[in-house]
Amino acid sequence: MQENILNDIYLSPGPHFSGKRKSWQIMLMVIIALLPECVMGVVYFGIPALITILVSVASCVLFEALFQKAIKRPLQINDLSAVVTGILLALTLPSTTPIWMTILGACFAIVVTKGFFGGIGCNIWNPALSGRAFLLMSFPVAIGSSWVAPKSDALSTATPLANISNYVNQFASTNECYWNLFIGNHAGSIGETCILAIIISGLFLLVTRIIDWRAPLMMILTCSVCTLLVGKDVLITLLSGGLLFGAFFMVTDYTTSPVTKPGRYIFGFGCGLITFLIREFGGYPEGVMFSILIMNTLVPFLNKLSKRKYGYGLKKQSAKKDGGKA
Amino acid sequence: MKLFTFKGGIHPKDRKERSRGKSISFVYPSTNSVTIPVTMGGSPNTPIVNVGDQVIKGQVIANGSGPISCPVHASISGTVKKITTHLVAGGAEVLCIVIEENKENPDREKTMYMDVLDPFSLSREQVIQRIKDAGITGMGGASFPTHVKFNYPETAKIEHLIINAAECEPYLTIDETLLNEKIDSVLDGIQIAQHVVSAPAIIALEANKSFLLNSIQEKINQLSKDNKLKHKIEVCIVKTKYPQGAEKNLITALTKKEVPSGGLPFQTGCIICNVGTTIAISESFRLGKPLIERPLTISGDGCSNPMNIKVPIGTLVGDLIPETIQLEKNVVKILNGGPMMGMAMQSADFPVQKGTSGVLFLTEKETSTSNPMPCISCGKCIEVCPMQLEPVLMAKAINAGEIEESKKRGLLDCIECGSCSFVCPSDVPLVQTFKLGKKILRDNKGK
Repeated sequence: MQENILNDIYLSPGPHFSGKRKSWQIMLMVIIALLPECVMGVVYFGIPALITILVSVASCVLFEALFQKAIKRPLQINDLSAVVTGILLALTLPSTTPIWMTILGACFAIVVTKGFFGGIGCNIWNPALSGRAFLLMSFPVAIGSSWVAPKSDALSTATPLANISNYVNQFASTNECYWNLFIGNHAGSIGETCILAIIISGLFLLVTRIIDWRAPLMMILTCSVCTLLVGKDVLITLLSGGLLFGAFFMVTDYTTSPVTKPGRYIFGFGCGLITFLIREFGGYPEGVMFSILIMNTLVPFLNKLSKRKYGYGLKKQSAKKDGGKA
Repeated sequence: MKLFTFKGGIHPKDRKERSRGKSISFVYPSTNSVTIPVTMGGSPNTPIVNVGDQVIKGQVIANGSGPISCPVHASISGTVKKITTHLVAGGAEVLCIVIEENKENPDREKTMYMDVLDPFSLSREQVIQRIKDAGITGMGGASFPTHVKFNYPETAKIEHLIINAAECEPYLTIDETLLNEKIDSVLDGIQIAQHVVSAPAIIALEANKSFLLNSIQEKINQLSKDNKLKHKIEVCIVKTKYPQGAEKNLITALTKKEVPSGGLPFQTGCIICNVGTTIAISESFRLGKPLIERPLTISGDGCSNPMNIKVPIGTLVGDLIPETIQLEKNVVKILNGGPMMGMAMQSADFPVQKGTSGVLFLTEKETSTSNPMPCISCGKCIEVCPMQLEPVLMAKAINAGEIEESKKRGLLDCIECGSCSFVCPSDVPLVQTFKLGKKILRDNKGK
């Protein structure tokens, strides 16, 4: 017996089996899911879009590594989360963003939003969105109103959201307008315009069960219903701006969204409602980013909402039974 | 056929093919000695033999006075060599009685069993007394004394006797092998249990064992044709899903009722019993034999001859190596029990107890030895929790020292099945944290 058990024996509590899907694999799946948006962004907005994506990813990974080194933590860039942040940040920026701005945004996203708050799993706000919010507020012209139309270099085309009636009027029929919005052939952020690609990616993530359907569905539903109530075109709301992109990729960010199911419903509802309010009454044409960042803040409270646990809430039943017998 | 199941759960590879179909052989430890823990289920016992005493197989060697104590019997005849502490499952050192067979004149046939009894001519109390005298505990793993389980308050109305043959832990095949080889004893044990609870019985099989369905059904049909069944016995197939064999989940899968938080199964009208236990019950009446032998599965890739064996209780697993169990060179984990809830041991030098359903020798490839990474709050643990708890939030509360908050979130309802740790993409040690949290709560209560 002794000679057989001479090698190291591990002592650890159960379970001694574990599932196959690890964190880095989940991140890899998200990266794969985001490829259609990247491809369509480059198709519509050309080489500048590609450069923005590459710079954003590279600087996110670099800042992550530098920060972990600076605070003497083990290097964990192989969990791929910085790559995801980099892609997401680039996809929410216009293709005209200067390279140094992209780098600055990546720095804010990784170092300030993520690193300062404890790194992966500890951040309160969505890193990519806060990076974008930081850039938008610092450079409102470059990020907020320097749009180009697909396949052109001319600056200062407004996004459809900025002036919807203007946008709709340039088409012969509303169907043509919907179609252009659907395939993303209009000015906007690199990855947010092509609804077709977003739906494909979103379905992929839903089917592979990487993301949960509750919060995205609630966000889209809430925003649609509110739009309907004020008598506006629901399809335009859905197809323009970053609503679907935000719903599938930002609202579903693990760390900055609630883990409980009731919490996810409310989270999605709040995101949809605030998006609508900003779009309808706010100073910005687009409200997705701020709505999600605001709801991120509430996540610890939303996690207090939980569903019925096994073996609870049955007292009424048994009380009735006992009462009946007595 | 309709598959019964519960909410949540996981699908680990079952890996039962390794020992499936291997018939149970009786094995004697190579050292001709056994190390029997003084207490195996129930309240603590004290030894009633002394060092140097001659004991006979079947003789009571340790007992307690409390209503939930469960006697322990000599599993071989011989001399009491030592009464000392020894390593047991879970890593603790507990008091054990070491019996060694006499070298000259080792009479293995000699026994000191109880009288043979006809259970159906006895009252409920008498049947329960015999089950207690035979030292029978649940043989699924938790070792809860069976006589206590049957001694539910008279006001409770039992609607189902559930025979737990789900065996949802990967690797383990002992229950299915018993159902295959000793179905007559199982059905006899069920009828004796039915005599106590006066309720129909359900044998619950996981779908990966549905090949047993026909043979069991045939035996039941035969019994009912001969008008021997006072209460109905049926077989139900439950979905292959872990932890289908957890008491509370199996009850919910079959009856849609939930055991109230902090409550016991009888409150849902169910009494639940393991396959091995029914055989022990049958033998305690038909042969007068106490629970002194334990069938179990030996498996894992680190074991080159996986098998189902029966050994005297107290047999040190190490004493079966290499005569019975042949090991590969690359064993990294030795488990008492299945890979989900079993405990890793530092060596094979621990005794088989009443609740030992298997011993596994795992290689690096088949087990997980990865280091924990930070939680990314993906919520997968919430999706799989069979108790509908929020493991991630409970663990965060415990780690933050907010023990009351984790209790509010249902810490005490955790059944420690390990589903959360299994799915965790960051390998966060969730169950370990809950075990720790429960201990802190117990310690706080003691203060």
